[in-house]
Amino acid sequence: MKPLFSEKYRSLRGRLLEELLHRRLPGAAVWSHCGTQFCAEPTSLALLALFFSQSSSSAMKDDLKPLLAHRLSDGTWPSATDGAGVNVWATALAVNTLMILGADSVTSKVSVKALVQCRPLEASWLVRLKFRFSDRQVRFDPAKYGWPWVPDTVSWVVPTSMALITLERAKRRGLVGGAELENRLRLGAEMLLDRVCMGGGWNAGNAIVYGVPLRPHIDATAIALGALRLHYQHPVVRNSLTWLLGCIQCRSAYSLAWLILAIDAYRDVGADVVPALAAARDRLADLVLDPRSMADTSTIALAALALGAGENPFEESA
Amino acid sequence: MSNSMSRRIFGGALLAGTGALAVERMRSVGWVADRRKPRSRVAILHEGSYAGPLDRVLVDGLRLFDLELHGKSVLLKPNLVESIPGAEVNTNPRLVGAAATAFLALGAASVLVAEGPGHQRDTQLVLEETGFSAELKERRIGFVDLNRDEIVKRPLVTQFTGLDHLWLPRTVLAAGFVVSMPKVKTHHWAGVTLSMKNLFGVVPGIAYGWPKNVLHWRGIDRSILDINAAVPAHFVIADGIVGMEGNGPLNGTPRNLGRIVLADDPVAADFTCARLMGINPLRVSHLAQAGEFLGNGAPERIIQLGEQLPRTVEPFAVLPEFAYLTQA
Repeated sequence: MKPLFSEKYRSLRGRLLEELLHRRLPGAAVWSHCGTQFCAEPTSLALLALFFSQSSSSAMKDDLKPLLAHRLSDGTWPSATDGAGVNVWATALAVNTLMILGADSVTSKVSVKALVQCRPLEASWLVRLKFRFSDRQVRFDPAKYGWPWVPDTVSWVVPTSMALITLERAKRRGLVGGAELENRLRLGAEMLLDRVCMGGGWNAGNAIVYGVPLRPHIDATAIALGALRLHYQHPVVRNSLTWLLGCIQCRSAYSLAWLILAIDAYRDVGADVVPALAAARDRLADLVLDPRSMADTSTIALAALALGAGENPFEESA
Repeated sequence: MSNSMSRRIFGGALLAGTGALAVERMRSVGWVADRRKPRSRVAILHEGSYAGPLDRVLVDGLRLFDLELHGKSVLLKPNLVESIPGAEVNTNPRLVGAAATAFLALGAASVLVAEGPGHQRDTQLVLEETGFSAELKERRIGFVDLNRDEIVKRPLVTQFTGLDHLWLPRTVLAAGFVVSMPKVKTHHWAGVTLSMKNLFGVVPGIAYGWPKNVLHWRGIDRSILDINAAVPAHFVIADGIVGMEGNGPLNGTPRNLGRIVLADDPVAADFTCARLMGINPLRVSHLAQAGEFLGNGAPERIIQLGEQLPRTVEPFAVLPEFAYLTQA
């Protein structure tokens, strides 16, 4: 990201990071959304925010141990307390964090493999048949599938997008490869392109229900655009970026931080992106002036990343 | 509440004679306790506008029930989905604010508003865009995002879904008095969305995702029954001032109903709301089943504290697939 932005928001980002350190749960580098229970999302985001704020990464590798301590035996993560079971979003976020913070390749490979092997219900031809012939109120192509939130459910936009971002990173680092991976990456991208809302952007994954187009959501659109950076020439991606650029007056820091991280990955594609990025960062800075009053730790970490100067952890081509 | 009568629930027996082929036959694994009290109380209040004196209307309405609220922590659970300009999607923030003030005025130790929207992950954005943030700030009422609250494993007392437990938010389980505050709407999967369907929002997205797809695959009606048996609401304040008909819960048409429905039994509340909508509650799978063990649906077991149900109503419009809902 641009040093100019970094300087402008240095003090505010310092307060955000200070608040993150203050909210670290006792005894370990793990975080909760708002209480005292380990949660994978705020832990991953906080580790990334703190990592990009440091000049040396050596200490951060040790901070991965508590996150790894919550990993399940099959290489996946629960979203929260360990008994809560496999969660794809949590797993993709955690593996992405492991790779960025420099975990050794053996450690990461187990989880990358688990992510590749996690399939939604539409991977079964019986379920595809059900959607084709009996359950047709939601318009989508069940042959194009990605990742579910949790096992035994169907694909949704947000976990699919994060899985794509993580697996692309793993592929670039040589942690995974082969036909199965390429097939999952292709199907996942096709699923996102299929589920786009009319006029651009994504919501949870239901673009048209009972013949009525539903509205896109900012955070889902941002994460999907992060996953589809390599597909920028596709009209769906361009339209969705245009839609997202029109949302910079968003009134919530969580969505706005995701928006900034997404459009930052597209900063070189058009003259309108950089000014929008600057305006969005100013807006975000106004929304997070008092980090202590913010209920959700993930939002604090995302804001620190969005106002920061480091690598963009959700940029597929990074 | 009586647990003295325990028996196996058979959907087939329940629906005998209704001729409602569209009503799903459901049964729970094992024995299901009959939780119905001898009589439930409902108050239908007239209120034509959100600009009206809602604080006074609710205080007066709640006094009809003579609730024991002293020292209790009250949790108000509105139906917050997302902001769609021109659509009556969400429980109105003024009504929720008025309810908070009313419960405090009647002796509650504390009042919280809590919700976990099903599709929109950014709860703060929903609060901002729907006017909830401003309303709650003005009245100094706290809010908890149930999608990101701490979660606790809770065994299910019924197993209509086949699940033996749910992860539920600690805040909900710790509340002393849970109030379901639905928007009166049609629903393109469940037929209607009222106080019982509204409790879908207590199931945390952090554990189940956005949407809570596990519950959809297990059956929405079945999930509604299991959730309501696990987390029974103590009271209902249903927003029927302006409801939604047609393609609810998101894209229907606003419908001026001019009513607020209060009840000390979610099943009685939902049967009453359905009747006000011109919908036969026994045609709604989860309501028909709930009336057999969770609460009272039969008119003779509901005491009307406010106005009586009107003799005739103009039925809410429904999607063609749900035309059976309005049949006797």
